[in-house]
Amino acid sequence: MLTRREFIGAAAAAAAKGAQPKRIAIVTTIYRYLSHGQHMGDRFLVGYPYEGEWHKPDMKVVSLYVDQHPEGDLSGERAREFGFKVYPTIAETLRCGGGKLAVDAVLIIGEHGNYPRNEKGQILYPRYEFFEQCVKVFEQDGRVVPVYNDKHLSYSFDKAKSMVEASRRMKFPMLAGSSLPVTWRLPAIDLALGCRIDEALMVGEGGSDPMDFHALEGLQCMVERRGRGETGVKAVQMIEGDAVWDAGNAGRYSKDLLIAALSRSDTPLGPTVDDGRTQDLVGSGELPKLAKNPAAYFIEYRDGLRATLLMLNGALKDFNFAAQLHGVPDIQSTQFLLTPEPNVTYSACLMHKVEEMFATGVAPYPVDRTLLVSGILESCLTSNAQGHARLETPHLAVAYKAPVKSQFPAS
Amino acid sequence: MSATRPRLAGVTTRFFKMSHTQHIIDRFLDGYGWNSTHHHPEMDLVSLYVDQVGADDLSRERAARHPAMKLCPTIAEALTLGGGKLAVDGVVLVGEHGTYPKNDRGQTKYPRYELFTGIVDVFRKSGRSVPVFNDKHLSWNWEWARKMYDTSREMGFAFQAGSSLPVTWRTPSVEMPMGARIREALCVCYGGVDSYDFHGLETIQCMVERRRGAETGVKWIQAYRGPDFWDALRNHVWPRELMDAALCRSHTLVPARAGFNDVFPSVEDMQRLVKDPVAYRYEHNDGLKCTMLLLSGLIRDFNFAAYVEGQSRPWSTQMYLPMPDGRTTLANFFSPLVNHMEKMYLTGKAQYPIERTLLTTGLTAAGVESLYRKGAKVETPHLAIRYQPTKESTYWRT
Repeated sequence: MLTRREFIGAAAAAAAKGAQPKRIAIVTTIYRYLSHGQHMGDRFLVGYPYEGEWHKPDMKVVSLYVDQHPEGDLSGERAREFGFKVYPTIAETLRCGGGKLAVDAVLIIGEHGNYPRNEKGQILYPRYEFFEQCVKVFEQDGRVVPVYNDKHLSYSFDKAKSMVEASRRMKFPMLAGSSLPVTWRLPAIDLALGCRIDEALMVGEGGSDPMDFHALEGLQCMVERRGRGETGVKAVQMIEGDAVWDAGNAGRYSKDLLIAALSRSDTPLGPTVDDGRTQDLVGSGELPKLAKNPAAYFIEYRDGLRATLLMLNGALKDFNFAAQLHGVPDIQSTQFLLTPEPNVTYSACLMHKVEEMFATGVAPYPVDRTLLVSGILESCLTSNAQGHARLETPHLAVAYKAPVKSQFPAS
Repeated sequence: MSATRPRLAGVTTRFFKMSHTQHIIDRFLDGYGWNSTHHHPEMDLVSLYVDQVGADDLSRERAARHPAMKLCPTIAEALTLGGGKLAVDGVVLVGEHGTYPKNDRGQTKYPRYELFTGIVDVFRKSGRSVPVFNDKHLSWNWEWARKMYDTSREMGFAFQAGSSLPVTWRTPSVEMPMGARIREALCVCYGGVDSYDFHGLETIQCMVERRRGAETGVKWIQAYRGPDFWDALRNHVWPRELMDAALCRSHTLVPARAGFNDVFPSVEDMQRLVKDPVAYRYEHNDGLKCTMLLLSGLIRDFNFAAYVEGQSRPWSTQMYLPMPDGRTTLANFFSPLVNHMEKMYLTGKAQYPIERTLLTTGLTAAGVESLYRKGAKVETPHLAIRYQPTKESTYWRT
């Protein structure tokens, strides 16, 4: 990650060379108020808050592809106001209607919109398909540019993997994933690079497969800092219902870590909603009454680390992490702060990372994180669909190094 | 073991869902999330006096669920536990909420001074005093606030008070460097006069008290409201750059344009969105100028910015309140407040200077006075309050 000074320096150097603002193409499923397409795309149009300034990227959105135009579509309005064009195909968007790639970066946001689900409950957002069409233009025109892909790469690990392989083969920078790794943390902690983790746990809430992805990426951005780096996942299992509590009682995940993660929550439900009281959800026995259909995602890493995601709908409304480090008495725990609508300022944190990659050509953290999480999620949902079986995941031997610098806002 | 646990008495105005009393007392009774566990204070709240019991009262339910806490009809009983002498080791005074008259300045006459007087009467009769926490400012009436402070000093008991703002999370998590040279400081926040203005003033004060030379008190204050506010903004009475920096720390900017979720407002946008803007501008005795802006309708959070020597641009952060107004269910900014109270009850020492809250109490009253006098500049020789900040940061970082 660049410091602010380095970042401004790079931008100033570009300006001194007389460089034109970078031209950006946005490729999205929909562009409607509070869709990812809108709140992320708009950051490049109207700027965003960053380190106590209203930051306006030195970049220009020149073209937009929108796959669906539901009621409330803002794409035409934005194009008129900000002087770009909406094209009917992705190829034309990247070529701005001409014969050759005519942009310097591509923002792919395949989230929201009306798409079918498969038998595992995954929404079949066409991220891979969007990406493929971009790559085809790169191939045909003999030039590549940086690509950001919002959220997981694809519902299919195979497709996700081919996306990352394409970026490696053709040598273009690529960044992907959730806002959770880059938003504020309460408290503002990171795990020490190279630490030894005995066990890690994340609690979250919301539907699958949008929100479990966010939770898994929040978990991954913490645990990837262990040891000599990430080496991938050996097996996963997903269970649901009372089996989740049974697994806790059997020591499959640490109760202390669960208590620690819940201690960071600002949103316990049930009695707190009724009369405002604070709650020890675990000690009081209230948790199973509130989370009526919990889900546990068990992850066995290749280096032996065990991590668990508990999705506890009905018990809370935020995302909290806890880990036991080896030889460290105090549990490490934090909340990933998802700031409120409509500002959702966490998406400004994420778009700053994207802007940084567009400006410098270097991704501030590895896309492999998102590749691995895409695969973990898919395999967990497969486990769930196959009677909650434990699944070996030899395909998830995804190895990478965590960024040395912490990526959440510290200044 | 239980014999060594401090015993506390609660003295409050009203106890209903989401009242300050509920947030504070519940944390002693039911514990709260702290440092990776559900923390139960190492002390017992054994008695509670509630001044007004309404239909929404929760003190009865709490007493039934926590029988070790006795409801007492008088302050004296809460402190003596029915015996003749002071029988507790600390007092929690929460004089916020409830139906109390307003004065001609529009200040709600919360009986903090009266409740405090009831407490120190018991101290005097018992020939012994114990630490007292007072939620928010000391009294709406400056003379009474000063008397509360002087009494605590004369009788020599630990006295801690104030807002959650100085002790809550910050986004980003940064502290004003000790000994910084600060040229100007500003807070943008929201809420009403004689209410959230106090929180805004404490937001500023917990930062600027760390400046070189420490606190020297305030010389004068001037309030701006309505058209005067917009004129002052256009005339750069306070630095627009600091105001913008603080607004850029907000997570709750009301979008000025339909269809956009996060756009920076123009002055015209602000004028449309903020129906009753209020500014308090004041100068410290060492020349530091500060501004507190209430911008209800534009934001719903507390953001600080300052010119600090050696920094090329404004230094800023947000004092983050996980606010249960739809954003959260728990007002967890009361957790660090209660945690600091616990430390005082355990050590007998205030965890941060009461003079901070004495000063912000006086500033609140003087700001209200300036508003009452239609924006006249109010000289504040009575606010020549000097004090040193704590070396250790006291905001929530763990």
